[in-house]
Amino acid sequence: MITANLEKLQILLKADQIKDTAETAHPYGNSGAMTVFPNNENEIVAILKFATENSFTVNIMGAGTKRGYGGMNERADILLSLEKYTGIVEHHPGDMTITVKAGTPFQEIQDHLKAYSQRIALDPFLPEQTTIGGLVSSNDSGPKRLGYGAARDAVIGLRMIYPDGTIIRSGGKVVKNVAGYDMNKLFIGSMGTIGVISEVTIKLRPITKAESTMIISFPISDMGSIKNLSVRVLDSTIEPVCFELINPELMERMTGEKSYSLVMSFEDVEKSVSYQEEFIQGLMKDGIKLRRLKGEESVQFWQSFYHLLPNGNKVDSQFRSETVLKIGTINMNILSILKDCELIQDTNNVTIQAHGGLGHGIMNMYINGVANDVRDAIEKVRNIAQKHQGYAIIRHLPFEQRKQTDIWGPKPAAFFLFEGIKLKVDPNRILNRNRYIGGI
Amino acid sequence: MARKKLRTKDQHIIRLASMVDGLGSILYEKADLLSYDCDGFTIHTALPKAVVFPENTEEVANIVKYCHEQGLPFLARGAGTGLSGGAIPLNQEVIISMVKMKKLLSVDLENRRAVVEPGFVNLKLTNSISDKGYYYAPDPSSQYCCTIGGNVAENAGGAHCLKYGVTTNHILGLEVVLPNGEIVEIGSNGVPDEPGYDLLGLLTGSEGTLGIVTKITVRILKNPEDKQTVLAYFDKIEDGSQAVSDIVSAGIVPAALEMMDKTAIEGVEAAAFPVGHPKDIEALLLIEVDGIAAGIGEQIEQILDVCRSRNVREVRAAKDEQERAAWWANRKTGFGAMGAISPDYLVQDGVIPRSKLPEVLQKIKKISDDSGLRIANIFHAGDGNLHPLVLFDARIPGETDKAMEAGSACLKVCADVGGTITGEHGVGIEKREEMRFVFKDEEIMAQTDIREVFNPDNLLNAGKLFPTPGRCAEVKKEMKEAAIS
Repeated sequence: MITANLEKLQILLKADQIKDTAETAHPYGNSGAMTVFPNNENEIVAILKFATENSFTVNIMGAGTKRGYGGMNERADILLSLEKYTGIVEHHPGDMTITVKAGTPFQEIQDHLKAYSQRIALDPFLPEQTTIGGLVSSNDSGPKRLGYGAARDAVIGLRMIYPDGTIIRSGGKVVKNVAGYDMNKLFIGSMGTIGVISEVTIKLRPITKAESTMIISFPISDMGSIKNLSVRVLDSTIEPVCFELINPELMERMTGEKSYSLVMSFEDVEKSVSYQEEFIQGLMKDGIKLRRLKGEESVQFWQSFYHLLPNGNKVDSQFRSETVLKIGTINMNILSILKDCELIQDTNNVTIQAHGGLGHGIMNMYINGVANDVRDAIEKVRNIAQKHQGYAIIRHLPFEQRKQTDIWGPKPAAFFLFEGIKLKVDPNRILNRNRYIGGI
Repeated sequence: MARKKLRTKDQHIIRLASMVDGLGSILYEKADLLSYDCDGFTIHTALPKAVVFPENTEEVANIVKYCHEQGLPFLARGAGTGLSGGAIPLNQEVIISMVKMKKLLSVDLENRRAVVEPGFVNLKLTNSISDKGYYYAPDPSSQYCCTIGGNVAENAGGAHCLKYGVTTNHILGLEVVLPNGEIVEIGSNGVPDEPGYDLLGLLTGSEGTLGIVTKITVRILKNPEDKQTVLAYFDKIEDGSQAVSDIVSAGIVPAALEMMDKTAIEGVEAAAFPVGHPKDIEALLLIEVDGIAAGIGEQIEQILDVCRSRNVREVRAAKDEQERAAWWANRKTGFGAMGAISPDYLVQDGVIPRSKLPEVLQKIKKISDDSGLRIANIFHAGDGNLHPLVLFDARIPGETDKAMEAGSACLKVCADVGGTITGEHGVGIEKREEMRFVFKDEEIMAQTDIREVFNPDNLLNAGKLFPTPGRCAEVKKEMKEAAIS
């Protein structure tokens, strides 16, 4: 159907901006019969108007790292790729704000900001590939969320394009703003279902003068002593920007050493960082080990950490078919969830690698095994998460397996409000149809 | 105790009284209603139909359900400290006062959270947990009496939100009574990133137009190990604002960075908490750094150096907690202090890109000169949130209007340099028309579209937040509706 309308699309875009992708199936789905590559906002508007007029569905993609994150349709009529819509629109170092186009890779922005000793205080996975638009659409965050916050705390303004082509600005370019509803929050994390992000304005933070990473490992898996030590640190006045508990299986993958480990980062002026290191040193006792990662060692640790997440756009030799869950819970319940999940590895013959922030309550869990075992394990993990007042959703899984799995878990009580919002903004449901919870 | 009888035949009042704890929990006579005809924005007044005081969520839900069924306009009110008129009953609303729902329900230090009822006073939360070394970060100047429910409605800020964020960054979960009386929990158990649209973020700052919050889970923080405060006097406002930029450029994130101009200083020195600031300086900076004690000295030295390099007249760190507290009391009562030098004052709440401060202050001075009204400036300089205080005398005919015009002109200046019309006080009824300074018709409509999802009959707090629809917006809406149907 779309090919019959190809001519119309060719009026809007140049030949090299349109690619017929009807024949190629992508293992992670969320693709389109036709892929279009707009270079500017006017072209995005034109494409959306074209889609609305012809009742075509549109999937939106940045770098495609999150193609395995939700989505029950293999393809839409059009895949709107923002990978060519990149660049910095404006950076005001004095005001510590930056506005960038949605397709800009996260690391590219950080590299630009480095010259000004500034940065976006966020630590997403796959920073070189992930685009700012994709990060904001999924409200992604990394282990340093404890000190930094999430995308919802950093974004101060958005330029959104509604399905009918209307441009809606939300927020602004100042760091404090309560004019009207906080529509930013509605769009952040909405998985592309209520508008296409065109531009993102973010508040910046200075790069700290010193930083350090410390790992405490517990050769004996005793949750009681892990908890005691964690509570002591979190109840003290030291200020780790990251306080992540890593399970033995994941620690083995990263460092070769199989034990529960607490990873802490400190970022501040030199004296403060050393003081905090000494504080941690002072907590050491028999049976636990402390390691301070210095220089290159620290860089490499985080490099491998931020690449734990499989890239949903990669289908070459590096193709990994593991399942990744995102779990949210009350901070300290992470300990019980990890403990309860140990058993699943044996009963289901799967490996579970996981980490979770004891200061913020968000976990990632990587499950490997035979498809049926994994599917069963997901349900068990979800039950455990719910038992601990939390939820579990699937943030990475190939399309064929997604079709047979409940991605988002039970709908929350407020689901009818989500539906109402979706229908107000996108009444024909053309944007990222079925990508998000409850099929919105 | 002998119960008085209701002295009314109004069936609505009789029914509403039956939903709360009798006569002590409802006001309906004019003399009683007068105290509810406005909030902290006193220029506009209107009488409510009644004021009810529910004690729990079910009572709130029952009242709302009844109003919804009967088509009675209603709104929620906390301590009534709002500065933009968000709790003023424009449509003869039934006011649902949350002041009896004021319990601290639970504190969980291990997971750094607390659950409160909406009528719980902001500062009481910090006071309840400070002995354990914890606090609640958002600190609006009215924190000794404003409620956390009201803070959620307005997305309240405060002097220390530069480093720690505003209310929305500290809300983990809400129980909400929707405008049809249905109770929903958003952010179940206060767990972050609940799948689905971020309704927590949307409701926070929606000025009581989307639902009534009946329970709030907030994040609490560990007290910083140490804090130090610096006071700096500048002869030229340009030097003061350049110092602000330099401090931030030096890579310091102060917990607070406040500025007052000459007129503001005159006010605070004439009021209840004078500290002896010189009256002939053009600007004063109050800078606070907190965090690990070992790292603070170095940052304070840097701040002192920056100020000296910008021709500061005098600069020093507070010698003890007592002095620090005195400086802050002087600053935090800054708005009220204007009462000492002017019969009336109007607070504005613009936000500007920090670098535009000298330009904006010059333009505000021109507005002051042109209108003949004095304007004092109190400024959360670190995040660009400017509070021009327009001083006037309401007894002089026409001066109130003139003050409102001057206030609006200040907001126009803020909007024109790329800023916004409100940073923490909200739009309410005061800045409805000024919304057009920052939003196009379609953008305002995108917001009212969202309101319709929650509040389709617009019985809850109607007439707030948005300008009266322009012709253009109405026509477009009709066209859109025609296209859909």
